[in-house]
Amino acid sequence: MSSEQQIDTSTLQRVVAGVGTGQPWSAYQAAARVLDKIPPDEIPERLRARVALLGSFTLDPFLPVLRVEAARVGLWLDTYLAPYGQFLPELIDPESGLYRFRPDVTFLAVDSDVLWNQRWAELPPITSQPVVGGLLTPLFSGLDVFDRAGSGIVVVNDFVLPRRSTEGVNAFRSKGTFAHTVAHANKHLRLRLSLRGHTFLFPLADVVAQVGRNHAFNWRTHYRGHVTWSDTLMAAVAERYVGFALAAIGKATKCIVLDLDNTLWGGVLGEDGPGGIALGPQWPGSEYVDFQRELLDLQRQGILLSLCSKNNEGEVLSILREHPSMLIRESHLAAYRVNWEDKATNIRAIARELNIGLDHMLFIDDSPHEREWVRRQIPELRVPELPADSSQYATWVGSLPSLIVLQQTAEDTRRTAQYSEAREREEYRSATGSLEDFLQGLVLQVQIEPLTDDTMSRVVQLLAKTNQFNITTRRHDETTIRRHLSAAHWRVYTMQVADRFGDFGLTGVSIVATAADHWRIDTFLLSCRVLGKSVETALLARIAADARQAGVNRLVSEFIDSGRNQVASQFLANHGFTLIDDGQWERPLATPGPEWPSWIQEGPRTRYPEGPREAVPR
Amino acid sequence: MTPTDEIPAKLREILAQVLGAAQDGIGPGFSAESAPEWTSLNHLMLISQLESEFGVFFTNQEVQQLTSFDRILAALAGRNQIDS
Repeated sequence: MSSEQQIDTSTLQRVVAGVGTGQPWSAYQAAARVLDKIPPDEIPERLRARVALLGSFTLDPFLPVLRVEAARVGLWLDTYLAPYGQFLPELIDPESGLYRFRPDVTFLAVDSDVLWNQRWAELPPITSQPVVGGLLTPLFSGLDVFDRAGSGIVVVNDFVLPRRSTEGVNAFRSKGTFAHTVAHANKHLRLRLSLRGHTFLFPLADVVAQVGRNHAFNWRTHYRGHVTWSDTLMAAVAERYVGFALAAIGKATKCIVLDLDNTLWGGVLGEDGPGGIALGPQWPGSEYVDFQRELLDLQRQGILLSLCSKNNEGEVLSILREHPSMLIRESHLAAYRVNWEDKATNIRAIARELNIGLDHMLFIDDSPHEREWVRRQIPELRVPELPADSSQYATWVGSLPSLIVLQQTAEDTRRTAQYSEAREREEYRSATGSLEDFLQGLVLQVQIEPLTDDTMSRVVQLLAKTNQFNITTRRHDETTIRRHLSAAHWRVYTMQVADRFGDFGLTGVSIVATAADHWRIDTFLLSCRVLGKSVETALLARIAADARQAGVNRLVSEFIDSGRNQVASQFLANHGFTLIDDGQWERPLATPGPEWPSWIQEGPRTRYPEGPREAVPR
Repeated sequence: MTPTDEIPAKLREILAQVLGAAQDGIGPGFSAESAPEWTSLNHLMLISQLESEFGVFFTNQEVQQLTSFDRILAALAGRNQIDS
């Protein structure tokens, strides 16, 4: 690999292109060795994810499989594999290699032997309770300790009954059987994981069902060296692990761009007419109805849907509005481009309209020709190979690793509505004259409040993903925020914004580190949805007013150039800050302002609570 | 079943993939002693890859002894004759 060559997504994908489903482990091992030849320091940061594996069995052979599957989606993995069987000690000990590694995502791969070993002393217990407690209690203590270090997400698999039970036909009556132990452990695992924010359940039982239990475990390698997963299971698990890794570093798909003819329905609307397309309860239309249902499931989680089709817009709109079997309606769409322009131009326009990077979009089209053409025009776009057989569409879409949503916030579920409000707002904008008139007419309202438990996940999400209007781009996690709040070092301001067209939700955050004579603005960010409305001035005006009230004489801050936050580069200078030295900006509070913008109404005020806080208020 | 005359080539390929060695360097005389990548874990995976590729299974004794190209080839050739 020449060092002048820029390493990108396609470099990684090319290396693994020849390795596919159904190939033996040795093919993965060989491809991983080719990946090893790429000098790690030439891999750009944006392609990298840090993945830790903790297992109750031998996972070394799984590493090459995981790295190859990651490369297939353009991801380079820095990996950490805990010593064999050390998953509990590694979690519990803050001095362990796991903690030093600081992973973005940690996978706990635990087989049901850990339950078996707990249980099978001399006599089978009467109930599975102590067995399950014996494992889950230390496991969750470990997760608690690890959580406090604030290191990424943790994914724990459910337990799988590895073979047909020999416990007899009466086993279902007993609470002491192994089958019951597995079910009981899964129930509690699910319950306890669901109560935590950054831990996820990995559906291993579902993956085992997908490959078939008889093919999932390799008993020869299991007994010879504790390599329990078969080649087939390793590949299937790796494909799904990769989705978590993508999401953990904020690279999951945010928007799906859909073709229409032979994609969302069978046939060609322009030729077959509204009555002639295949879409309905009977075959072949039923294949497309199911595909649409899967897409709507994704939309409900916050992945945006949009259309890009070569058709007449009027004809398509009447299908969207009137076809009795169409599940995806106009209200589900964040954007659409139905015209005779080329698809790359249209996809770029959708990206601009939604303000989403092309590398966060995925294009689904039945035409191999269109896919190839768009791929050439927009290399960073995800363009997976849709199967030629439309009966596979619904199943196929579930296998795409990048369609994974970790955090669902109130803003996510409202997002599509927000985009259609934006369409109306834009129409209004082109109808009014000056910017000031436009802003006055919007009837902007902001509400600035201290962080609460209810808004925590949204705040963490904004910290993690806001790139543009973000003066310092500090990616604080929940643990850090709670620690500083309870020590009363920080004030965390949140800002909700609405106008007469709709609600933008929580779209501004500022973190202020307080000292006796000055307040330091550690973080100041706005979601790109509310740029250009001067709401940032309102938030800063509120902070300055609070600071004056606290007897502070100046605000200090800094601008850290991340390469992507140019839009915020003038924010400090425009609000009375002057550059002191070495990137430090100061604003004396003796100078009046900043003025609250006249076109913004303030919602009901919540006073910022004083003193240390154990927890944030609800 | 892999035809007998194709066994050496296939074996070379699998050894190269698992151990990361160049195929032309693999042949008579190639063994765990001469290949640093032939670790116990890679040996375990190698045996399992051979078992699935050639549709055979090796006894515990064989698993421990099949640590060179020549021994594996002999074991596979013998297995092929008996099975066919």
